[in-house]
Amino acid sequence: MSTDLTPPPGAPGAPRDPAVNGGGAVAADDRDSGLPAERGRAMRLLSRTLRPDSTPARVRAMTLAAITAIALLFATVAVIYTHARDGLQVIGHDAGPQVVATADLYFALSDMDAQVANVLLIGEESSLGLGRAESLDLYEQRRSEANNAMLQAAQLAGSDPTQQKTVQETLDGMGRYERLASEALQLSEQNDYRPGSPPAPVLKKYREATELMRLEVLPKAYNLTLDNASIVRTTYETERTWVLGGAAAIGLTGIIAVLLLTRLHVYLARAFRRRLNPAIAAAIVGTTLVTLGAAGVSYYEAQNMQRAKEEGFDSVLAVSRARAIGMGIHGDQSRFLLDPRRADTYQQVYLDSSQSILFVDVDNLNAYYSKVDKGIADYENGDIPPIGDENRMLGFLGEQERSGDIAGQPEALDDVMASYQTYQESDRKMRGLVSDGDRRDAIALRMGANDGEVRGEFDRYDKSLEELYTLHRGAFDSAIESGDRWITGWAVGIPVTAVIIAGLVLAGVRPRLAEYR
Amino acid sequence: MSALSGSVSRGRRALGVCAVAMAALLGATSCGVAQGETSTILDADTLRIGVKANQPGLGLEVGEGRFEGFDVDVATYVAKELGFSEDDIEWQAVTSDQREKALVDGDVDMIAATYSITPTRKTEVTFAGAYYVAHQDVLVRADENAVDNVRDLKGRNLCQEAGSNSGARVRDGLGVAAKVTEAETYADCIKELAAGDTDAVSTDDLILAGFLGEDPDAFRFVNAPFTDENYGIGLAKGDLGGCEAANKAITKMYQDGTAADLLKKWFGKTDLNVRTSVPQFEGCS
Repeated sequence: MSTDLTPPPGAPGAPRDPAVNGGGAVAADDRDSGLPAERGRAMRLLSRTLRPDSTPARVRAMTLAAITAIALLFATVAVIYTHARDGLQVIGHDAGPQVVATADLYFALSDMDAQVANVLLIGEESSLGLGRAESLDLYEQRRSEANNAMLQAAQLAGSDPTQQKTVQETLDGMGRYERLASEALQLSEQNDYRPGSPPAPVLKKYREATELMRLEVLPKAYNLTLDNASIVRTTYETERTWVLGGAAAIGLTGIIAVLLLTRLHVYLARAFRRRLNPAIAAAIVGTTLVTLGAAGVSYYEAQNMQRAKEEGFDSVLAVSRARAIGMGIHGDQSRFLLDPRRADTYQQVYLDSSQSILFVDVDNLNAYYSKVDKGIADYENGDIPPIGDENRMLGFLGEQERSGDIAGQPEALDDVMASYQTYQESDRKMRGLVSDGDRRDAIALRMGANDGEVRGEFDRYDKSLEELYTLHRGAFDSAIESGDRWITGWAVGIPVTAVIIAGLVLAGVRPRLAEYR
Repeated sequence: MSALSGSVSRGRRALGVCAVAMAALLGATSCGVAQGETSTILDADTLRIGVKANQPGLGLEVGEGRFEGFDVDVATYVAKELGFSEDDIEWQAVTSDQREKALVDGDVDMIAATYSITPTRKTEVTFAGAYYVAHQDVLVRADENAVDNVRDLKGRNLCQEAGSNSGARVRDGLGVAAKVTEAETYADCIKELAAGDTDAVSTDDLILAGFLGEDPDAFRFVNAPFTDENYGIGLAKGDLGGCEAANKAITKMYQDGTAADLLKKWFGKTDLNVRTSVPQFEGCS
């Protein structure tokens, strides 16, 4: 700040320049021009503001410039605030959680079909494994979950005709599936048969049902989730860039406001020979703090959005999809046992789906088991090649990173890997029994919940995925929560601070201008 | 007067700085939006699409820069939904082993060329679709009586294109001890089959149906579909906006009946079992 206190021309105490109109001359001029007093005053004020040729006029012009800059700063903050709020709302409260809910649709539908296959598989031994009654209860429960997820999907579809049609077709498909499934179940009840040898009409009906489910309904359910996830992605990318760009814009407008306020302060100090104008000095400090604070919060909100999207939403969705596909392969195991004529196909589907969960480059199931064993052993030894390396495992699990940012996540991922391997091991055992002609034992192994038995290993694997899900869901929720907290603070803080700072500027200028009246 | 002119020019400067700030605010956001969608085909004026040149029914060159087939029609439909007219499309022939490189090097913007989505390819390419799920199947001569299902290939000659692993899938995957022979292309395998030099040809049913369509009475399917080949539309890695738009177009193509019409147009003369409901998408990544 300048300490040279020589008054500029036109300031009180400086020699009056007769060519420059002082504030006191206004009334006289108005009388001379013969205009109505009020209107003349206003015209003068305006022309003096635009062409500052006297001290009060300059003060007014500088004040106007400073207030405009402050207004611009707060307008910028308000715009960025809106984007941060909208981004967090869509990702954290509207589309985000709904998309995650639609991912449950695939899981629920897959399990419905798996439970039907289980009931048909066990036949007259209605207490084998989970048992007929409990399987049917689970079927009902999944149906209700699927309906619930469909409601979310319908809401997300909004007015998008393509999505609405997909929702409609999925609902129709579910209706037809339930009819076919209940017919198959009814036929099975009417015919007593040993586990694993359903009569032809039962199989025929079930084939129709499962084909409808797997080839028509499930793909649509899956695509719905993907399509909706794109709403979250585009919102995220747009709003995050706004908020990040906003941090820079706030910094820039803030610097301008502070410079203009400082200029006003210096001018006042020189013109009125006072070193400090407390109100304007406070406005400068306040604007500086607002600038730093708002730019910081913008940057922080952009990071919250990124955490919520990348460590939260994306991982939650990937794990949900892995769980859904996993439920599908568990069903394929039952179908493999249920329908020997199509066993090759179901085995191939099992391999293809397993590959999308954890990919190793092989083309038959036996090679898959051994390469998964080796891949997971390497993984456990910390030997994880980068993506792009031919030995890197891919797929949902293979591409998950051990994230050091989320407490417990690396351990949870390790558990998932280990339990996936044990699950595949139990599958190998089951198919081995079938090759040896021990279908009855294979069915018992498929239905058993003990260690080393297929259902038991699957449940453990699925539970470990659920743990991983919970961790990422927690990261998602906490990022959104901390984003929301700042947003709430902003909503009140921005207008109040703007008014206070503008008030300080006016309070600092008014007494000085009054000296001219 | 120097103070006066100085103050005016300072005022102008302040105005100028404000303008810069506004420009920065608007600029930051507009360039930011462009940044989010790293070079997407949605912003392009023309579209270079890679298709097969020698695959009847799917992608076949019929004149200078002119191609026809199911893949060509699907790509045209998707391109139109993305806002390109037929005049905006430039077709280019690609072979199977050129596909990743053509996308990575930016020689083409999109590929629809019997391009199966695999996790390995996904590390280099972003896939829209699948727009169709083909299955590996086996084609034999129409008058072949000895082969009724895939197990009957035991001890017989099975032709595959050089470098393909379709034979290995029958031999190792299904455990059928067929004698795998190789020809330069599948077209050559079909010639061998017609001449009686091989007993069967195995690859994607859609590819086989394309050949069968040229001479529907000469061959028949064994109809033992195994493996899922998810035909995807290849895009430059990271073009998520383009990929999502293409997925939307594929959904619409099935909803409005175009997919069913196209499958009928190209494979209707064969006994291929086509599926006319939308396949499961891979997800844009």
